[in-house]
Amino acid sequence: MAIVLIRAVILYILITFSLRLMGKRQLGELQPSELVVTILISNIAAIPVEDSSIPMIMGIVPILTLVCLDVVMSGVMLKSTKIRKLMIGSPRVIISEGKILQNEMKRLRYSVDDLTEAMRNQQIFDITQIQYAIVETNGKINFLLKNDYQPAEKQDVNAGGSTENPPSVIIRDGIRDSEQLRLIELGEGWLTKILRENNISEKDIFLMTADKNGNYEIIESEMKK
Amino acid sequence: MKRIVISAVILVVMSVGCFYSVSVSCDFTDKLIEQIHEIEDSFEKNDIEAANNAAKRLNEEWGEFVDFAILINDLGLAVDITSSLAEIQSFAEDANDEIYASCDRAEAQIDLFRDMQMPTLWKIL
Repeated sequence: MAIVLIRAVILYILITFSLRLMGKRQLGELQPSELVVTILISNIAAIPVEDSSIPMIMGIVPILTLVCLDVVMSGVMLKSTKIRKLMIGSPRVIISEGKILQNEMKRLRYSVDDLTEAMRNQQIFDITQIQYAIVETNGKINFLLKNDYQPAEKQDVNAGGSTENPPSVIIRDGIRDSEQLRLIELGEGWLTKILRENNISEKDIFLMTADKNGNYEIIESEMKK
Repeated sequence: MKRIVISAVILVVMSVGCFYSVSVSCDFTDKLIEQIHEIEDSFEKNDIEAANNAAKRLNEEWGEFVDFAILINDLGLAVDITSSLAEIQSFAEDANDEIYASCDRAEAQIDLFRDMQMPTLWKIL
Protein backbone atom coordinates (compact mmCIF):
# COMPACT_ATOMS: atom_id res chain seq x y z
CA MET A 1 0.00 0.00 0.00
CA ALA A 2 2.84 2.35 0.90
CA ILE A 3 4.37 1.63 -2.52
CA VAL A 4 1.17 2.81 -4.26
CA LEU A 5 1.15 5.96 -2.14
CA ILE A 6 4.79 6.80 -2.88
CA ARG A 7 4.33 6.04 -6.57
CA ALA A 8 1.27 8.29 -6.76
CA VAL A 9 3.22 11.14 -5.14
CA ILE A 10 6.18 10.67 -7.52
CA LEU A 11 3.90 10.55 -10.56
CA TYR A 12 2.02 13.63 -9.38
CA ILE A 13 5.31 15.53 -9.14
CA LEU A 14 6.45 14.16 -12.50
CA ILE A 15 3.22 15.10 -14.30
CA THR A 16 3.19 18.58 -12.74
CA PHE A 17 6.81 19.03 -13.89
CA SER A 18 5.89 17.69 -17.33
CA LEU A 19 2.98 20.10 -17.76
CA ARG A 20 5.24 22.96 -16.64
CA LEU A 21 7.77 21.85 -19.23
CA MET A 22 5.05 21.88 -21.88
CA GLY A 23 4.33 25.49 -20.99
CA LYS A 24 1.32 27.63 -20.13
CA ARG A 25 -0.16 27.29 -23.65
CA GLN A 26 -0.89 23.68 -22.88
CA LEU A 27 -3.25 24.53 -20.04
CA GLY A 28 -5.36 27.00 -22.00
CA GLU A 29 -5.84 25.52 -25.43
CA LEU A 30 -4.89 22.17 -26.87
CA GLN A 31 -3.48 21.59 -30.31
CA PRO A 32 -4.08 18.07 -31.71
CA SER A 33 -0.63 16.79 -30.73
CA GLU A 34 -0.95 18.28 -27.23
CA LEU A 35 -4.37 16.69 -26.79
CA VAL A 36 -2.88 13.30 -27.72
CA VAL A 37 -0.03 13.77 -25.22
CA THR A 38 -2.40 14.84 -22.44
CA ILE A 39 -4.71 11.86 -22.95
CA LEU A 40 -1.79 9.42 -23.15
CA ILE A 41 -0.11 10.82 -20.03
CA SER A 42 -3.24 10.34 -17.94
CA ASN A 43 -3.55 6.73 -19.07
CA ILE A 44 0.13 5.83 -18.76
CA ALA A 45 0.42 7.37 -15.30
CA ALA A 46 -2.43 5.18 -14.03
CA ILE A 47 -0.75 1.88 -14.96
CA PRO A 48 2.16 1.75 -12.46
CA VAL A 49 -0.08 3.19 -9.73
CA GLU A 50 -2.69 0.47 -10.21
CA ASP A 51 -0.26 -2.44 -10.61
CA SER A 52 2.70 -2.41 -8.24
CA SER A 53 4.35 -5.37 -10.04
CA ILE A 54 5.06 -3.09 -13.01
CA PRO A 55 8.23 -1.02 -12.52
CA MET A 56 7.49 2.68 -12.18
CA ILE A 57 10.13 3.41 -14.77
CA MET A 58 7.68 1.89 -17.29
CA GLY A 59 5.44 4.87 -16.57
CA ILE A 60 8.12 7.53 -16.17
CA VAL A 61 9.97 6.81 -19.43
CA PRO A 62 6.94 7.06 -21.77
CA ILE A 63 5.58 10.14 -19.98
CA LEU A 64 8.89 11.98 -20.24
CA THR A 65 9.36 10.78 -23.82
CA LEU A 66 5.95 12.10 -24.89
CA VAL A 67 6.37 15.43 -23.12
CA CYS A 68 9.94 16.01 -24.31
CA LEU A 69 9.02 15.02 -27.87
CA ASP A 70 6.11 17.43 -27.78
CA VAL A 71 8.35 20.28 -26.58
CA VAL A 72 11.08 19.47 -29.11
CA MET A 73 8.48 19.22 -31.89
CA SER A 74 7.00 22.58 -30.90
CA GLY A 75 10.53 24.02 -31.24
CA VAL A 76 10.90 22.41 -34.66
CA MET A 77 7.48 23.75 -35.68
CA LEU A 78 8.58 27.26 -34.76
CA LYS A 79 11.37 26.98 -37.30
CA SER A 80 9.56 25.08 -40.05
CA THR A 81 6.16 26.13 -41.40
CA LYS A 82 5.90 22.91 -43.40
CA ILE A 83 6.27 20.71 -40.32
CA ARG A 84 3.90 22.97 -38.41
CA LYS A 85 1.27 22.56 -41.13
CA LEU A 86 1.84 18.81 -41.16
CA MET A 87 1.54 18.47 -37.39
CA ILE A 88 -1.27 20.87 -36.53
CA GLY A 89 -2.81 21.87 -39.85
CA SER A 90 -3.73 25.42 -40.77
CA PRO A 91 -6.71 27.66 -40.00
CA ARG A 92 -9.63 27.37 -42.43
CA VAL A 93 -12.00 30.13 -43.49
CA ILE A 94 -15.64 29.00 -43.41
CA ILE A 95 -17.39 32.36 -43.92
CA SER A 96 -15.96 34.93 -46.27
CA GLU A 97 -17.55 38.22 -47.37
CA GLY A 98 -20.63 37.17 -45.38
CA LYS A 99 -21.04 33.98 -47.43
CA ILE A 100 -20.84 30.52 -45.88
CA LEU A 101 -18.28 28.34 -47.68
CA GLN A 102 -20.29 25.15 -47.60
CA ASN A 103 -17.66 23.00 -49.28
CA GLU A 104 -15.06 24.03 -46.71
CA MET A 105 -17.50 23.25 -43.89
CA LYS A 106 -18.18 19.86 -45.42
CA ARG A 107 -14.48 19.20 -45.74
CA LEU A 108 -13.98 20.07 -42.05
CA ARG A 109 -17.06 18.01 -41.14
CA TYR A 110 -18.62 21.03 -39.46
CA SER A 111 -22.40 21.06 -39.34
CA VAL A 112 -24.63 24.14 -39.30
CA ASP A 113 -25.36 23.27 -35.67
CA ASP A 114 -21.63 23.46 -34.83
CA LEU A 115 -21.48 26.86 -36.49
CA THR A 116 -24.57 28.28 -34.77
CA GLU A 117 -23.40 26.93 -31.41
CA ALA A 118 -20.03 28.62 -31.84
CA MET A 119 -21.86 31.83 -32.79
CA ARG A 120 -24.04 31.70 -29.70
CA ASN A 121 -20.95 31.10 -27.54
CA GLN A 122 -19.69 34.45 -28.79
CA GLN A 123 -23.06 36.22 -28.29
CA ILE A 124 -23.87 36.30 -32.00
CA PHE A 125 -27.44 35.25 -32.75
CA ASP A 126 -27.85 36.36 -36.36
CA ILE A 127 -25.73 34.75 -39.06
CA THR A 128 -26.26 37.70 -41.39
CA GLN A 129 -24.15 39.84 -39.03
CA ILE A 130 -21.02 37.80 -39.77
CA GLN A 131 -18.51 39.03 -42.32
CA TYR A 132 -15.80 36.42 -41.82
CA ALA A 133 -15.30 33.25 -39.78
CA ILE A 134 -12.23 31.11 -39.39
CA VAL A 135 -11.73 27.69 -37.79
CA GLU A 136 -8.49 27.76 -35.82
CA THR A 137 -6.17 24.76 -35.62
CA ASN A 138 -7.49 23.94 -32.13
CA GLY A 139 -11.06 23.73 -33.54
CA LYS A 140 -12.25 27.05 -32.14
CA ILE A 141 -14.23 29.29 -34.52
CA ASN A 142 -13.52 33.04 -34.49
CA PHE A 143 -15.89 35.54 -36.06
CA LEU A 144 -15.54 39.02 -37.48
CA LEU A 145 -18.80 40.97 -37.53
CA LYS A 146 -19.84 43.16 -40.42
CA ASN A 147 -18.89 46.77 -39.94
CA ASP A 148 -22.42 47.87 -38.96
CA TYR A 149 -22.61 45.32 -36.15
CA GLN A 150 -19.21 45.84 -34.58
CA PRO A 151 -19.30 47.51 -31.17
CA ALA A 152 -18.14 51.13 -31.13
CA GLU A 153 -14.67 51.67 -29.74
CA LYS A 154 -13.35 54.72 -27.89
CA GLN A 155 -11.52 55.92 -30.97
CA ASP A 156 -14.79 55.83 -32.95
CA VAL A 157 -16.34 58.37 -30.59
CA ASN A 158 -13.10 60.30 -29.99
CA ALA A 159 -13.18 59.56 -26.26
CA GLY A 160 -9.95 60.52 -24.49
CA GLY A 161 -8.04 58.72 -21.77
CA SER A 162 -4.87 56.74 -21.69
CA THR A 163 -4.25 53.04 -21.54
CA GLU A 164 -2.83 51.79 -18.28
CA ASN A 165 -2.08 48.43 -16.77
CA PRO A 166 -4.72 47.21 -14.31
CA PRO A 167 -4.01 47.44 -10.55
CA SER A 168 -1.79 44.71 -9.14
CA VAL A 169 -2.49 42.68 -6.02
CA ILE A 170 0.29 43.64 -3.63
CA ILE A 171 -1.01 42.08 -0.39
CA ARG A 172 -3.13 38.95 -0.25
CA ASP A 173 -4.17 37.25 2.98
CA GLY A 174 -1.72 39.42 4.93
CA ILE A 175 1.25 38.44 2.76
CA ARG A 176 3.13 41.04 0.74
CA ASP A 177 3.89 40.29 -2.92
CA SER A 178 7.23 42.03 -3.42
CA GLU A 179 7.37 41.03 -7.08
CA GLN A 180 4.11 42.87 -7.87
CA LEU A 181 5.27 45.86 -5.80
CA ARG A 182 8.42 45.99 -7.91
CA LEU A 183 6.41 45.75 -11.14
CA ILE A 184 4.29 48.82 -10.29
CA GLU A 185 7.53 50.65 -9.40
CA LEU A 186 6.31 51.97 -6.05
CA GLY A 187 8.68 50.24 -3.67
CA GLU A 188 8.53 48.93 -0.12
CA GLY A 189 8.85 52.45 1.34
CA TRP A 190 5.63 53.59 -0.33
CA LEU A 191 3.74 50.57 1.04
CA THR A 192 5.04 51.13 4.57
CA LYS A 193 3.94 54.79 4.37
CA ILE A 194 0.43 53.86 3.16
CA LEU A 195 0.04 51.25 5.91
CA ARG A 196 1.11 53.81 8.50
CA GLU A 197 -1.28 56.44 7.11
CA ASN A 198 -4.15 53.96 7.29
CA ASN A 199 -3.03 52.76 10.70
CA ILE A 200 -3.24 49.14 9.65
CA SER A 201 -0.85 46.23 9.90
CA GLU A 202 0.05 44.15 6.86
CA LYS A 203 -1.29 40.94 8.40
CA ASP A 204 -4.73 42.53 8.96
CA ILE A 205 -5.20 43.08 5.23
CA PHE A 206 -7.27 40.60 3.24
CA LEU A 207 -6.55 42.22 -0.13
CA MET A 208 -4.66 45.33 -1.25
CA THR A 209 -4.35 46.44 -4.86
CA ALA A 210 -2.40 49.38 -6.28
CA ASP A 211 -1.49 50.85 -9.65
CA LYS A 212 1.54 52.74 -10.95
CA ASN A 213 -0.01 56.10 -10.06
CA GLY A 214 -0.19 55.17 -6.40
CA ASN A 215 -3.98 54.64 -6.39
CA TYR A 216 -4.77 51.84 -3.98
CA GLU A 217 -7.61 49.88 -2.46
CA ILE A 218 -7.47 48.08 0.89
CA ILE A 219 -9.91 45.40 2.02
CA GLU A 220 -9.43 44.55 5.67
CA SER A 221 -9.51 40.99 6.88
CA GLU A 222 -12.66 39.97 8.74
CA MET A 223 -10.50 37.70 10.88
CA LYS A 224 -8.68 40.76 12.23
CA LYS A 225 -8.02 40.47 15.94
CA MET B 1 14.48 27.81 -25.98
CA LYS B 2 15.50 26.63 -22.50
CA ARG B 3 12.58 24.19 -22.39
CA ILE B 4 13.51 22.78 -25.78
CA VAL B 5 17.12 22.23 -24.70
CA ILE B 6 16.01 20.60 -21.41
CA SER B 7 13.59 18.34 -23.31
CA ALA B 8 16.21 17.38 -25.88
CA VAL B 9 18.70 16.57 -23.11
CA ILE B 10 16.12 14.46 -21.23
CA LEU B 11 15.28 12.59 -24.46
CA VAL B 12 18.94 11.86 -25.18
CA VAL B 13 19.66 10.77 -21.58
CA MET B 14 16.61 8.51 -21.55
CA SER B 15 17.45 6.97 -24.91
CA VAL B 16 21.02 6.26 -23.81
CA GLY B 17 19.75 4.89 -20.47
CA CYS B 18 17.22 2.59 -22.15
CA PHE B 19 19.70 1.11 -24.60
CA TYR B 20 22.36 0.85 -21.88
CA SER B 21 19.94 -1.09 -19.68
CA VAL B 22 19.27 -3.48 -22.58
CA SER B 23 22.99 -3.98 -23.04
CA VAL B 24 23.62 -4.51 -19.30
CA SER B 25 20.80 -7.00 -18.95
CA CYS B 26 21.91 -8.90 -22.08
CA ASP B 27 25.47 -9.18 -20.82
CA PHE B 28 24.35 -10.24 -17.39
CA THR B 29 21.80 -12.80 -18.56
CA ASP B 30 24.42 -14.33 -20.90
CA LYS B 31 26.72 -14.66 -17.92
CA LEU B 32 23.97 -16.30 -15.85
CA ILE B 33 23.21 -18.80 -18.61
CA GLU B 34 26.91 -19.66 -18.89
CA GLN B 35 27.00 -20.32 -15.16
CA ILE B 36 23.94 -22.55 -15.39
CA HIS B 37 25.69 -24.58 -18.12
CA GLU B 38 28.74 -24.76 -15.86
CA ILE B 39 26.59 -26.19 -13.06
CA GLU B 40 25.10 -28.78 -15.39
CA ASP B 41 28.55 -29.76 -16.69
CA SER B 42 29.97 -30.13 -13.18
CA PHE B 43 26.96 -32.18 -12.14
CA GLU B 44 27.32 -34.45 -15.15
CA LYS B 45 30.97 -35.05 -14.20
CA ASN B 46 29.80 -35.86 -10.67
CA ASP B 47 31.74 -32.90 -9.33
CA ILE B 48 29.05 -31.99 -6.80
CA GLU B 49 31.24 -29.56 -4.90
CA ALA B 50 31.99 -27.51 -8.04
CA ALA B 51 28.29 -27.56 -8.98
CA ASN B 52 27.41 -26.46 -5.47
CA ASN B 53 29.92 -23.59 -5.52
CA ALA B 54 28.77 -22.46 -8.97
CA ALA B 55 25.12 -22.53 -7.80
CA LYS B 56 26.02 -20.40 -4.76
CA ARG B 57 27.89 -17.92 -6.94
CA LEU B 58 24.95 -17.84 -9.37
CA ASN B 59 22.51 -16.98 -6.58
CA GLU B 60 24.82 -14.32 -5.16
CA GLU B 61 25.24 -12.64 -8.52
CA TRP B 62 21.53 -12.75 -9.26
CA GLY B 63 20.92 -11.29 -5.78
CA GLU B 64 23.09 -8.32 -6.71
CA PHE B 65 21.40 -7.89 -10.07
CA VAL B 66 17.80 -8.36 -8.95
CA ASP B 67 17.37 -4.76 -7.71
CA PHE B 68 18.25 -3.51 -11.18
CA ALA B 69 16.16 -6.27 -12.76
CA ILE B 70 12.93 -5.23 -11.03
CA LEU B 71 13.59 -1.65 -12.04
CA ILE B 72 13.42 -2.50 -15.72
CA ASN B 73 11.26 -5.61 -15.92
CA ASP B 74 8.18 -7.25 -14.51
CA LEU B 75 8.49 -8.12 -10.83
CA GLY B 76 6.77 -11.50 -11.32
CA LEU B 77 9.43 -12.70 -13.73
CA ALA B 78 12.24 -11.68 -11.37
CA VAL B 79 10.54 -13.58 -8.55
CA ASP B 80 10.26 -16.68 -10.77
CA ILE B 81 13.97 -16.54 -11.62
CA THR B 82 14.90 -16.07 -7.95
CA SER B 83 12.95 -19.15 -6.94
CA SER B 84 14.34 -21.25 -9.82
CA LEU B 85 17.92 -20.31 -8.96
CA ALA B 86 17.30 -21.10 -5.28
CA GLU B 87 15.97 -24.49 -6.35
CA ILE B 88 19.14 -25.17 -8.39
CA GLN B 89 21.27 -24.46 -5.32
CA SER B 90 19.12 -26.70 -3.18
CA PHE B 91 19.31 -29.60 -5.70
CA ALA B 92 23.07 -29.08 -6.07
CA GLU B 93 23.54 -29.39 -2.30
CA ASP B 94 21.43 -32.56 -2.22
CA ALA B 95 23.05 -33.94 -5.42
CA ASN B 96 19.54 -34.38 -6.76
CA ASP B 97 19.06 -35.23 -10.48
CA GLU B 98 16.12 -32.86 -10.69
CA ILE B 99 18.72 -30.12 -10.97
CA TYR B 100 18.66 -30.57 -14.78
CA ALA B 101 14.97 -29.69 -14.98
CA SER B 102 15.55 -26.71 -12.69
CA CYS B 103 18.46 -25.53 -14.81
CA ASP B 104 16.37 -25.77 -17.99
CA ARG B 105 13.53 -23.86 -16.37
CA ALA B 106 15.84 -21.14 -15.04
CA GLU B 107 17.52 -20.84 -18.43
CA ALA B 108 14.16 -20.42 -20.14
CA GLN B 109 13.10 -17.78 -17.62
CA ILE B 110 16.38 -15.89 -18.00
CA ASP B 111 16.03 -16.08 -21.79
CA LEU B 112 12.54 -14.64 -21.49
CA PHE B 113 13.84 -11.90 -19.19
CA ARG B 114 16.45 -10.93 -21.77
CA ASP B 115 14.06 -11.20 -24.70
CA MET B 116 11.57 -8.90 -22.99
CA GLN B 117 14.22 -6.17 -23.04
CA MET B 118 15.16 -6.57 -26.68
CA PRO B 119 13.45 -3.98 -28.89
CA THR B 120 12.67 -6.28 -31.83
CA LEU B 121 10.16 -5.32 -34.49
CA TRP B 122 7.72 -8.03 -33.44
CA LYS B 123 7.70 -6.88 -29.85
CA ILE B 124 7.33 -3.23 -30.81
CA LEU B 125 4.35 -4.09 -33.01
